[in-house]
Amino acid sequence: MATQASSGVFAGPRDRESFFDAQRRNRHATWRLSAVTVIATIVMGIPLALAVTPLLYAVGLIVSEVVNIWIPLPASFWRQSNELAHYGLTAIQWMTGGIMPSPHALALGVAVLLLPGAILSVGLWLGVNSLFRRAGVGGALLALKAREPNPSELKELQLADVVEEMAIAAGLHSPKIMLMDSPRANAAAIGTSPNDARLVVTRGLIEKLNRDELEGALAHLIASIGNGDLRIAFRVVSVFETYGLLLALINSPFGPNARRTLWRILRFGLLGRRQGEASAAEAAAVGDLLTRGAGLETDDIDNFFDTTARKKSMLRSIRNFLFFPIFLTNFAIKLSLWFFSFSMLEPSMALLWRKRKYLADASAVQLTRNPDGLAEALRKLNSEPRAIPQGSWAPHLFLVNPAGSDRMNDPKANAAHQQMLASTWASSELASGSAPSTKLRNGAGPSSVMGEIFATSQAALGGDQHAAARMAAFRRAAATALGRPVDELPAVADLAASQHGDQAAMLRLSQFAKKMNSNETDGSDSKQRASDSSANFAGFFPSLKRRLKRLDRMGAHIELESGRPQSATVIFIALLTLFLAPFALLALGLLLLLIGILMLASLTFMAIWMAFIHQLFVMFLHH
Amino acid sequence: MDGIHSPAVRDVPASLADNSLEKGRHVSNLSLIVIGLFAGALLVWFVAIFNSLVALRARVQNAWSDIDVQLKRRHDLIPNLVSAVQGYMAHERSTLEAVTEARTKAVASSGGTVADRTQAESALTGALSNLFAVAEQYPQLRAVESVELLQEQLTSTENRIAFARQFYNDEVMKFNTAQATFPRNLFAGMFGFSQATMFAAQEPERQAVKVSI
Repeated sequence: MATQASSGVFAGPRDRESFFDAQRRNRHATWRLSAVTVIATIVMGIPLALAVTPLLYAVGLIVSEVVNIWIPLPASFWRQSNELAHYGLTAIQWMTGGIMPSPHALALGVAVLLLPGAILSVGLWLGVNSLFRRAGVGGALLALKAREPNPSELKELQLADVVEEMAIAAGLHSPKIMLMDSPRANAAAIGTSPNDARLVVTRGLIEKLNRDELEGALAHLIASIGNGDLRIAFRVVSVFETYGLLLALINSPFGPNARRTLWRILRFGLLGRRQGEASAAEAAAVGDLLTRGAGLETDDIDNFFDTTARKKSMLRSIRNFLFFPIFLTNFAIKLSLWFFSFSMLEPSMALLWRKRKYLADASAVQLTRNPDGLAEALRKLNSEPRAIPQGSWAPHLFLVNPAGSDRMNDPKANAAHQQMLASTWASSELASGSAPSTKLRNGAGPSSVMGEIFATSQAALGGDQHAAARMAAFRRAAATALGRPVDELPAVADLAASQHGDQAAMLRLSQFAKKMNSNETDGSDSKQRASDSSANFAGFFPSLKRRLKRLDRMGAHIELESGRPQSATVIFIALLTLFLAPFALLALGLLLLLIGILMLASLTFMAIWMAFIHQLFVMFLHH
Repeated sequence: MDGIHSPAVRDVPASLADNSLEKGRHVSNLSLIVIGLFAGALLVWFVAIFNSLVALRARVQNAWSDIDVQLKRRHDLIPNLVSAVQGYMAHERSTLEAVTEARTKAVASSGGTVADRTQAESALTGALSNLFAVAEQYPQLRAVESVELLQEQLTSTENRIAFARQFYNDEVMKFNTAQATFPRNLFAGMFGFSQATMFAAQEPERQAVKVSI
């Protein structure tokens, strides 16, 4: 690596950039991307409003029909509603390309179709904002088992001191520290505003970083707080929560899941809006429920219309026929939500957030005046296990991606990992009661011990009972030493089960053995890198390489991997892109067309359905 | 001509409702409104500029008082440090005395001029770094946990002072740039703002020994 860096990257003049320039550039970029995100949200809102509006009219119609039974509504009411419906139908006809109405009628028709849904969406968004404002982002992390740093322990005193120093450098109130006793190395900033922000820091982080690196890492988080990222993160999340709430509302007549979500929100809105960590945690739980709802995981309505599971009956068919337009609308909403969020909203938000990360990096350099600290910290953290189980609640608030893989892709860290495994192998030897192996007695290096571990695991997979017991003991010891399961070893449960002749466990083990063997031969490194880059495509975290490159430009003395891809690869990818682009565009166009057709169909069906309902009520009244 | 017959003008008594006069009144009404709006916008703009400069100045003053807070913290910590290491460094009486003396001077200069204070504080920084350099030669001292913690606290205090100064200088730079750039430079002097001075390190402090922990 070192030779590559000295030959490739350091030659020639380097494009330096001051941290002030970097901040200005990234700030401008976030303004542009915020505008794009707002436009994307509005574009996404149009089909949504178009689909929601008829549902609102249907509810309004049924309510007024029922009221009409007891208290007859004036004729003018029905005349006016009829007129409005006409305007709406005119607009639909215009959309299908049938007629060209007068601009006045067209504007009124579009307003009739869009306004109620748009008003409802905006209202829900404001409601979500006011509901969750006090809890802020990352409330779920408040429920973690965390404590304050202990000032009589050197490393923890250092943490408290460095946080205080960075707060002074940024001119902010010192944020509260929540120290987690976890061996993984990561940190996050949570809260609503610079005044009540908190830092979540793991014990692993302060153990693995030295003072300068810790300073860089915490400077990034505190700079991010100072730049107002918490509010931006809150806005990003609130949009998804609003979509989730809307879906829950639409689904609520059809299933218990959506109703449970709504009930929980209602209870939280009425009772839970007090200060305090329990309330914040509840807010986070509710918010998570909503964003999951936006992720199309609520399948209440599918269960409702699912006729295959239960036996068909006449009543069911009639009911399904009656509610079919609503099913169609629901499907149209889900599809357009999925499509626009996947193609527009998420990419623009991810790009926006990456710019905020770069901005926080540049601000961290301003605070510490030491780009090396942050660069080294980032490099170290990317080669350490950094996954935080609860990190999936608010992954974007972390310093490095908490959902990142636990696999090592740094050779140095890999060697340390092997060393640790080897020593665990030795210590678990006595526990399993087998005779000490010759290799350990002779003081062999970790690589030959790894060979022995591998051989034993192969023997265990082959059905050797003794080897299986040995592996189980080792696996337990390694899991406690690492603080996580060891994914390079077969599972204890499977080993135990296979000893009793469990077929499924045997199958899993043989698959595992195949995987191990393929890893041995082709080198999983390249595969790992490929999966990393694909995860970064739409991720909220910039890649380590890009962050390091920018820090290098601000003066960090870091050895950059000159991992410039071969020109042949670049040409191949370009050709492939050129070849695939028309197909991708075609697919996008088809999807858009499908969404359009679905929207129109749902509008038309709803119109017919409403007329039908009205006729039913009229018949009912006359009898 | 039709446009002139606005309702406001129609109320004018008939004797005065001669065509040219009508026109003149109407134009003056319109221009009054335009001038009024323009003056209002200008006033808002002035207020915004003034307020932004005031806010920046307040930040500079705040940053300056933050440095004081950190200096005070250092004064408070030093007696603890001296009493903790005294037993182990009996032979280094002169070094310890230098620190105590520098501290006394620094405390005494708290009410004095900026120049005096800067000098006294840099002398204290020098004495402290000297003490740390000497303490390196006492390995048993580094093994004592409480001393280790105290040393971390002092390191942190030195850092805090440095970061508070850095923040002060950053804020001064922002304030001065805001005053010097168009259009604020036209009014800054008029509103009574003046350039703030940066905190410059004294000569002996520049070559301060790096504290190691």
